[in-house]
Amino acid sequence: MKGDSIRSWERYVWPLLAVVLLLLFWDAAVRWSGTHVFPSPGKVQRGLLELLQKGLFFQYVGDSLFRVASGYLLAAGLGIPAGLLLGWYPSAAYTANPAIQMMRPISPLAWIPLAVIWFGTGDAAAIFLIFLSSFFPIVVSTMTGVRNVPPMYRQAGRNFGLTSAALLRRVILPAILPQILVGLRIALGVAWLVIVAAEMLAVTSGLGYLVLDSRNAGQRYDLVVAGMLLIGVVGLMMDILMRRLERWKSVRWGFRYET
Amino acid sequence: MKLSARIALAVLLWTGTISAMHMSLNVDWSALMNDYVPEQQRKFNVAFIPVTCHLTCPVTDYISRQSPAGNIFLPRKFQGFPEIKEALIANKIQAAFIVAPMAIALRAQDVPIKIVYLGHRYGSAVVVRKDGPVKTPADLRGRTIAIPSRFSDERLLVFRVLKAYGIPPEEVKMVEMPPPDVAGALAVNAVDAFSMGEPFPSQAEMGGFGRVLFHAREYWPDYMSCVLVVRQDMIDRRPDAVQALVDGIARSGLWLEKGLPYRESAADFVGRFYYLQDPALLRWALTNPLDRVLYTPLTPFKKDFDIVRDLMIETGVLDRKIEFEQYVDVRFAEKASSLNAWPYEPGIGWVQ
Repeated sequence: MKGDSIRSWERYVWPLLAVVLLLLFWDAAVRWSGTHVFPSPGKVQRGLLELLQKGLFFQYVGDSLFRVASGYLLAAGLGIPAGLLLGWYPSAAYTANPAIQMMRPISPLAWIPLAVIWFGTGDAAAIFLIFLSSFFPIVVSTMTGVRNVPPMYRQAGRNFGLTSAALLRRVILPAILPQILVGLRIALGVAWLVIVAAEMLAVTSGLGYLVLDSRNAGQRYDLVVAGMLLIGVVGLMMDILMRRLERWKSVRWGFRYET
Repeated sequence: MKLSARIALAVLLWTGTISAMHMSLNVDWSALMNDYVPEQQRKFNVAFIPVTCHLTCPVTDYISRQSPAGNIFLPRKFQGFPEIKEALIANKIQAAFIVAPMAIALRAQDVPIKIVYLGHRYGSAVVVRKDGPVKTPADLRGRTIAIPSRFSDERLLVFRVLKAYGIPPEEVKMVEMPPPDVAGALAVNAVDAFSMGEPFPSQAEMGGFGRVLFHAREYWPDYMSCVLVVRQDMIDRRPDAVQALVDGIARSGLWLEKGLPYRESAADFVGRFYYLQDPALLRWALTNPLDRVLYTPLTPFKKDFDIVRDLMIETGVLDRKIEFEQYVDVRFAEKASSLNAWPYEPGIGWVQ
């Protein structure tokens, strides 16, 4: 079946058209309201060019990506093993679950005062906030994944004489990979969402810092909006890359694909 | 009853209850109704943040509420300067206490506001850790200092001192932080020093971990930091209301200078009802010694502002020379100069 007859050019043309229409609408709204505060798309574009000329564009994107990558990889490195453990031993899950579920809804913003006390100001505190925001989604998705593996898989593995370690590595892990991937994708979205809050912590670079710094600079709302747009565009690109991972052979069975 | 009907009823009851509770407990009806009275009777929303630089704002509100004429304006508490700036630009507030360089910078960026009065004089200090490595201003080289905003006199103060000690400004790292966070940051070594208005230097002193390296006045005679700004459209359309506001602030300034009992009383009611800070902290900041912060004279003088403006240009936060008359309107301050303190006695109340 060849999809719902979406031609290949349409996959790019319609979204682009939507973006162009949105920009036109934005421009018209600014003109019509006669505001001197809210920037027009042209003004934001000039702000972006200014960032490029000052050499801040790539520095800010790079610094934000570095912080998010560090916090996120740390969360994945600790979260996946923790999730496996909690899923494997039901008693551990019963013990830890209330604490996890209680910590999960606390906004990273609320952690800021403690982050400053523990890590001071700078990269470490920002990375800590990003770690916190992505750690829990990863733990929870891995844990539920392990717990939802059909008991039959385990029994079959046992019947083949697999040790616990081999069972985990050769049966459980492959069975939950798609679910881990979903957790990782959600966590990456959240981690990137937190970048503005994380960069409130007296760091002096990054896209979140750009938004806050431009806010502090008086009437530079063109740069505020430029920072927001950059955060959006980078977030979109990261999501596209994550989605690519879903086509990976070992997990493809877990997602619905037409071919 | 069906389950769906029960859920609908529960949702309705819940929303109704919390709405009713919100309206009776949280909503300030007089402030809400203010938007619907004729413009000439409408009260100004005046923004302040909980620092002693803005103390005359809650003092005026507290005392005037007990006067026969009633309150003059609606005080609005904010936590930082960027929010005040946005509310001012968006015309959600008509007047505000903000740091002087921010007022000048906003005026230079064509935001229609004017400075009409000062908030205080002195009352800012650079604080370091008691047992830390910074013993004299010369030790600030290579350190990190927290400041409230790039548009603050506290930042300019640091520049002035660095210059006096021959330290190039690039050798000191300044970070912008919300004022309420700095004492905690100093306590845990996140910064080496902070330059802030009271009561945060007092907070670090009372906490036992901070030591005042120097007060602003030691390096900057006639230092002033926060000013009262009013939107230009209000100055044009309602000069009488602006005058009433300035008069109230002037009377409060004089009242605060009447002596120790007045300051202690202010520390008590402002701490409890407005700033939600420990009154002991404000008492420390206001009385230790009595001239740590002064509330007279509050008339804006050209020479004070020229110093600020020139320092702003020198340190790169203002790109052109803007003249005193363009951002200050002294008419209201001049008319307020012959007033007396509020006839209000601590512990007794309004006396006439």
